[in-house]
Amino acid sequence: MTEKNEIVIALLGQPNSGKSTLFNGLTGLRQHVGNWPGKTVEKKEGSFTHGDKKYIVADLPGTYSLSANSDEEIITRDYIASGKADVVCILADSSQLERSLYMLSDFAGIEVPCFLLLNMSDVAKDQGKDINAKAMEDKLGISVVLFSAPEVKKYDSFYTALERAVSEKTVLNTASLEEKYNSIPEYSEIRNIIGDLKDGNRTGMWLAVKTLEGDMPVTAKVKAELGNEKAAELSSVIGKCDKGIVKAGECKFSWIDELTEGSVKKEKKAEGLGKFDRLITHRIWGKPVVVLTILLGLLLSFIPALPFMGIGSAIGMIPAPLNDALVGAGCPSFIAAFLCDVLIRCFSFVVQMLGFVFGVTLVFGLLEEIGVMARISYVFDNSMGKLGLQGKSVMPFLISFGCTMGGAAGTRVIDNWGQKVLTIALSWAIPCGAAWAVIPMLSTLFFGAWMPVIITVILLVMILHMWITAKLFGKALVKPSDRYGMIMELPPYHKPKWGSLLRFVFGRTKETFFRSFKVVLIVAAVFWLLSFTSSGSADNSILFKIGQAIEPVTMFFGMKWQTFVAFIASSLGKEGALGVLSTIFSGTGSITVGSMQSAETVSNLNELLLANISKPEALAFIFAITFNMPCIVALAATYQETHSAKWTAIIGLYYTATAMILACIAYHVGLLIW
Amino acid sequence: MQELLELLKDGRSRSTKMLAAELGKPVEIVERDIEFLEKTGVIRRIEFSMCGSCNGCSTGDKKKTCPGCVPKDGFQNMGVMWEIV
Repeated sequence: MTEKNEIVIALLGQPNSGKSTLFNGLTGLRQHVGNWPGKTVEKKEGSFTHGDKKYIVADLPGTYSLSANSDEEIITRDYIASGKADVVCILADSSQLERSLYMLSDFAGIEVPCFLLLNMSDVAKDQGKDINAKAMEDKLGISVVLFSAPEVKKYDSFYTALERAVSEKTVLNTASLEEKYNSIPEYSEIRNIIGDLKDGNRTGMWLAVKTLEGDMPVTAKVKAELGNEKAAELSSVIGKCDKGIVKAGECKFSWIDELTEGSVKKEKKAEGLGKFDRLITHRIWGKPVVVLTILLGLLLSFIPALPFMGIGSAIGMIPAPLNDALVGAGCPSFIAAFLCDVLIRCFSFVVQMLGFVFGVTLVFGLLEEIGVMARISYVFDNSMGKLGLQGKSVMPFLISFGCTMGGAAGTRVIDNWGQKVLTIALSWAIPCGAAWAVIPMLSTLFFGAWMPVIITVILLVMILHMWITAKLFGKALVKPSDRYGMIMELPPYHKPKWGSLLRFVFGRTKETFFRSFKVVLIVAAVFWLLSFTSSGSADNSILFKIGQAIEPVTMFFGMKWQTFVAFIASSLGKEGALGVLSTIFSGTGSITVGSMQSAETVSNLNELLLANISKPEALAFIFAITFNMPCIVALAATYQETHSAKWTAIIGLYYTATAMILACIAYHVGLLIW
Repeated sequence: MQELLELLKDGRSRSTKMLAAELGKPVEIVERDIEFLEKTGVIRRIEFSMCGSCNGCSTGDKKKTCPGCVPKDGFQNMGVMWEIV
């Protein structure tokens, strides 16, 4: 009660329980907003008159409980403990009583007149819930009101409950709750030590349970009140108390369940796993189904790429006639060659590549949108343990399918340094978005209808690569330790939002176009200059001479010097390989690489590549660039996340070496086939 | 809730529906327990950041991603994960 005989009401409830709506409904414009002293937490107070009485309303910050976990919770409980409020109005969300009544259970033990407002009763009714407020009232000993805060004209029941709480000073009945607390041995011991100790309106029960929960301010206060001997005794009990907060929480929820039992009737809904969920979580069939889903997704994603391939290929036919026309029109051959061999050819490659970016992003974006990707992450979560990793490593792996740098950054959530480094190391084996654009394009170019087989083999090699890498690096990085499982809330399946999905797909395709075109163009320009000679014969160029010198070695790995140079360039970014190919294998005008076959007879770059690279060499090249270091930025991100130059260098060298070994194997297997 | 924590000791991850089935409780009760365990710091929600280059991800404007890493609206429907602290 204030000096002016105004009655103070505190509104207490969890966030979204409707406190602010009630506060606005009661006070209208008679409210003022400020900050709680010394805090940046908003303080809202207002007033209203009902009958002949004036009421002051304090809208306390919305908090989950009355523990001391945040400024808001401390402010809320200190306000109630201060005795400033004559009545506490506790709000709970009727549509989810089993959750929102937690505040009431945490308040139990504070002896302030109160009443319970079951807000959003209209929502609960729509859910088919029938709440018997009277039955709850009998159990709690305070007024319980079914309420809907937005309906300002129906506040009569609120005023009645308020007046009753003020006049009868109704306090919450906590006997049955304390009975439950008494079943916890540590609580009983604490309660015995505390005895009849009270702190203002906070009873011994409330102080004991907060001490059991490990609430530091309350424990300190209790110890200070008890004196040295009893405080030491209390410390000893607290020391041996394990998961006190969980035990206390179980008692509170059990009390809530008893309270709602018989008081809340609801329609029973059939719950269980859907057909697809049952299939993917099957012990035997789960993983094969998911692998097939990914594979099918990849294959489907290549369908939209076909028109892009056609357009890109058609653009690739422009340079030969254009070069002739330009030179014929008197354009300097240097400029004509740069325009045709670098600019247009790069553009042709990037357009062909974009189709796969579009397709992969569309299909996997769709899988994510409808909720399948989350299930894929769930299925592979348990496999992480076999690699010595935590379940959450699955997310950086999924992100690495888009961008290895993002995958490396995604490992920030892994606290254990060794597991973090191992996760990054394994994420390098996953072909990134750029690889999923370049690899299918080259596979289609060289192997036509066999492209799906190549992609399937790449996926299988990726899994084997990750397993071997985990075994090799795991010993040094990860020590055996207990692994806890995770809880995953899988999103519900839902129809895709096509507008949002297409914006995402086009956004990514556009972004990839600019990034890739830049990389391809820079690499192509550099290699074009290296292969340029004043005589016009690339056989005299520096690049050609170096290439000829190293070819005996590179051929062991199944790569001619040209593809080996493209492999090295792919370390900058997978697209870099295309830049090199488009330059070295350009067959127009005055600047050509003399060692190439048919350079004069074929005008299309694709045909030129097919004429100069055999199938085994192409297979070796595809494996080499797929499993090469993802890009220079991924290398930097690895250092940034691991803070270890040693491990960054080890991972970088390891991937360069394994890419060459895999290329060598692919080449020799290819020789057996073709 | 202690049963739930005990279950996770075997290292296998579970969805909320699976937990509900194994514990013989309704899903909303399991969700309530998860909320409590999260609020009291026994378990923690895993917040993924996918960006490695910009400063906006982990500091400042609280962005989780930047367009350079994952385009806008990407990875929005991957569910929620919690781990034991």
